[in-house]
Amino acid sequence: VPVAKLDIPQGTLDLMILTILDREPLHGYGVSQRLTINSRGEFVINQGSLFPALYRLEADGTLKGEWRPTENNRRAKYYRLTAAGRRQLEQHRQRWSRVSLAVNGVLDGAS
Amino acid sequence: VTLLHRLLSVVRWIARRDRVERDLDEELRTFIEMAASDEIRDGRTPADARRRAALQLGGVEQAKERVRNDSRAAWIDHIVQDVRYASRTFRGAPLAALTIVSTVALGLGLITAVFTIFSALYLRLDAVERPEELFAVTRPTGPGATTTLVWTRTEYETLRRDSTAFSGVLAMVRGVEGRVDGRHVSGSLVSGNFFDVLGSRARLGRTLRLTDDEPPAGQPVIVLSDRGWQKLFARDPTAVGGSLRINGRPYAIVGIMPEDFRGLSRVAPDFWAPLSLSDDVHQGATAKSRSGEMFVDNVVGRLKPGLSAEAAASALTAWASANAASGMLRTIGGYPASVRLRPSQGDVGGALTLFTPIFVAFGLILVIGCVNVANLLLARGVSRQREIGVRLAMGAPRSRIVRQLLTESLLLSLVAAAGGFVVSRLILESAFYFAMAEMPPQVSEGVNLVPPLADWRVAVFLVTGAVVSTVFFALVPALRATSLQLIQTIRGEVTQYARPSRVRHALIAAQVSASVLFLICAAVFLRGAFAATRTDLGLRTSDTVTIPIISESTRAAVISEVSTHPSVASFAATSPSAGQVALAAVESITDGGAWQTPSRPGVGYQSVSSEFFRVLGIDALKGRTFAPAERSVDAGVAVVSFRLARRLWPEGEAVGQAMRVRVDVPGTTRSAARTFSVIGVVETVESPAGPFVFNGADLYLPIGLENAGVSLVLQVHGDPEVARRALLRRLTEIDPALGPISTLQTATRMTAYLLRMAFWVTVVLGGLALALTASGLFSVLSYLVAQRAKEIGVRLALGATPRNVVTFVLWQSLAPVGFGVVLGGALAGTLAIYLLLTVGARIKNMIHVYDPVAYGVSGLVTVTACVIATAIPAWRAARIDPIETLRQA
Repeated sequence: VPVAKLDIPQGTLDLMILTILDREPLHGYGVSQRLTINSRGEFVINQGSLFPALYRLEADGTLKGEWRPTENNRRAKYYRLTAAGRRQLEQHRQRWSRVSLAVNGVLDGAS
Repeated sequence: VTLLHRLLSVVRWIARRDRVERDLDEELRTFIEMAASDEIRDGRTPADARRRAALQLGGVEQAKERVRNDSRAAWIDHIVQDVRYASRTFRGAPLAALTIVSTVALGLGLITAVFTIFSALYLRLDAVERPEELFAVTRPTGPGATTTLVWTRTEYETLRRDSTAFSGVLAMVRGVEGRVDGRHVSGSLVSGNFFDVLGSRARLGRTLRLTDDEPPAGQPVIVLSDRGWQKLFARDPTAVGGSLRINGRPYAIVGIMPEDFRGLSRVAPDFWAPLSLSDDVHQGATAKSRSGEMFVDNVVGRLKPGLSAEAAASALTAWASANAASGMLRTIGGYPASVRLRPSQGDVGGALTLFTPIFVAFGLILVIGCVNVANLLLARGVSRQREIGVRLAMGAPRSRIVRQLLTESLLLSLVAAAGGFVVSRLILESAFYFAMAEMPPQVSEGVNLVPPLADWRVAVFLVTGAVVSTVFFALVPALRATSLQLIQTIRGEVTQYARPSRVRHALIAAQVSASVLFLICAAVFLRGAFAATRTDLGLRTSDTVTIPIISESTRAAVISEVSTHPSVASFAATSPSAGQVALAAVESITDGGAWQTPSRPGVGYQSVSSEFFRVLGIDALKGRTFAPAERSVDAGVAVVSFRLARRLWPEGEAVGQAMRVRVDVPGTTRSAARTFSVIGVVETVESPAGPFVFNGADLYLPIGLENAGVSLVLQVHGDPEVARRALLRRLTEIDPALGPISTLQTATRMTAYLLRMAFWVTVVLGGLALALTASGLFSVLSYLVAQRAKEIGVRLALGATPRNVVTFVLWQSLAPVGFGVVLGGALAGTLAIYLLLTVGARIKNMIHVYDPVAYGVSGLVTVTACVIATAIPAWRAARIDPIETLRQA
């Protein structure tokens, strides 16, 4: 029986992409793989949203893309965080922890 | 993300667009390959692996489209793409594009022509300083009264001296008429501070000063408007310092005003002269109070800064009460003096209520045109379903395609706006030319109608109009065209028939009713115009010229010139001048013997010489008219009109009776009662309906040529207009200040002229409305027949006769047409009721608003045009070959 996967909560895709790319530069497919693995298979990214997000973040100057050969000797576009991207990630993170703290607080109070 | 970032990202996107496209393409390919090789590792066949990889991405092209749409700069790309796409579409279907452009251009052009006039009259601000401070000072004749008490010069001077509310108060008399070398000019008489209070400077020379206007007689100086400068001097700068002879008197030209200064009038006069020159410039014709004081029709004050209009009005009312008590200000009927302030700069709201019906009438053509275009686009939407379906399937969001379709329409509309400008100029130029050319010559020499120039407001109006029209005609078709079922569409199955909907029927009915309404109005005006030229007024108008005599000193010379002038056949003296009457009271009459008092004593009378009745062709019905020897009231004889005879002696014989009448004593302000015996009854003279009022007298008393203050009526040989000009040339040499010489023909022709102009406007609008309606019917019906060929073929195959098919197709449109005709007639009837209730008295002699012929003919013309427009598609439908159609299916 296939278990329904979770939708990525609104507004958190950017945060997750930035977190993943903060560790190491990756190409688009790598980002989507890592997202699935790190979320223990719970999140499956709608690939239709991944590339628009990557291009938008690149256009904003948050990410920088470079063409590099992969370990299998293919050419792929690797994305890495710029200095501005790192600052943004920090902001995103702080906001997220406040939101999740607040949500958890409400949920705990309710139980 | 800051605004700067956004801007930078837009710039980057544009700069690197091509590279981004290449990157995206390669990156997505890499993605598929990587995902596919993972799938192969999991044990799938290569083909299956690639398919799953592409599925994971949600389609390569779709993913690209989403990246493109997601970009912040996408809209710039979209516009460029849409415009390119649109121009390809237009090249593919030039006829449709041309139809849309020309229809919208025509509609926009018509309404823009109206707007150009409206804008020139009401939206252009007069070049005066801080116009919001200027207020017209009026004195209502009663609480809430709309009539006001006119200011005398002295009252104005008192206000100017005393007023603490105003920083300055000016006075003005508009519409002063005169002649310069036989050409008609109009001017305004203004107080010496006029230009100072308005804060307007001359463009050349100077404006008027207080010293120019010192009573009793001002300096003979004038300031020309740009209009007058153009008209009289063709903008020659040396005109300043020169002089101008108005009515034979010289005036020094001291200055010329800039073009945008109109001096608080809608249209600038030709010149401004000091108020104190009234008697000279105005040929003594200015209305005066009983004490011989001059009236000024406009008093305008500039409020002191910071003072509210309400506070000023109450201060002025207190001032007025005090002065009324001391006798400095006149009052009426015991109503306490009060002062009201009205913003003197144009009342755009009031103007709008006047122009709204005109805007609606002209706008209807645009609306009808837009309905046609909307129908056309709906039809084209169906034929473009496949193209649109493919784009939707390729990942274009619906909003993107709607925008594409709207961009196409907007482009066409903007082209149409440019065309509309050309159309509006053509309409204005030709309409003004036509209006001037058709005008009775005596009137046209006094007016100078020039089509107003377009300004930036017209451009804004056109572009706004284009956008609004686009939304009106393109939005619904675009939404309809993009709500598709994809699979069927790509298979090539057309999913929407443009079935005759209620909406479409309602639109046809509305179009038809507008056409009928216009055509009924046109027919009513045309028949009114014909009737106006044929109406019997009880006197001959074809060869009559009237001359008012103003100057006593030249009266004898004028009469002697007239009596020897070759174009004059005969002439008579009247007082007052022909077309005007004085009022007398009939105190008592005899009816067979005893004196009695009539129930209605008031009667209009005219003193005329013995030739009068022959000159004007007023026939005696009973008795006789005056003999040459009867030259004054002392003769004790009177002639009455048939109308008065019926009123005073309903049963009896008027001739031979006596009447006691109180009449003015010539040369004095007194009146005296005199007894006359009635010697004849003549035809009643009726006034022609329309702008020229020609009052026929009911009582005629004798007078001689030698009497002071008489005017002349002339019977002339040949064309009265030629005679009028010859006389004008000759007589103004004798008396340059001679008043207007006119032909009686003008009075009757002016009515016919106005009705003819109204006819042309409405018949052109009606014709266009009908043409658009019929062509819309034709094209939609043709399209429907083509779309439903299969259905019709099946019907024919199942035994329907061609006759059934024709009936079926005709019924599709003729039902709403019939409804539209009835509705249009009902609208015309409602309009007629409204007009009769509001301005009925003024129009009921000019036009018959319930003219059955007008209603019948208009309905018939409309129905015929619609039947012809529908008959051709119906005939085509009947000729559908069922075998052929079924085989295609």
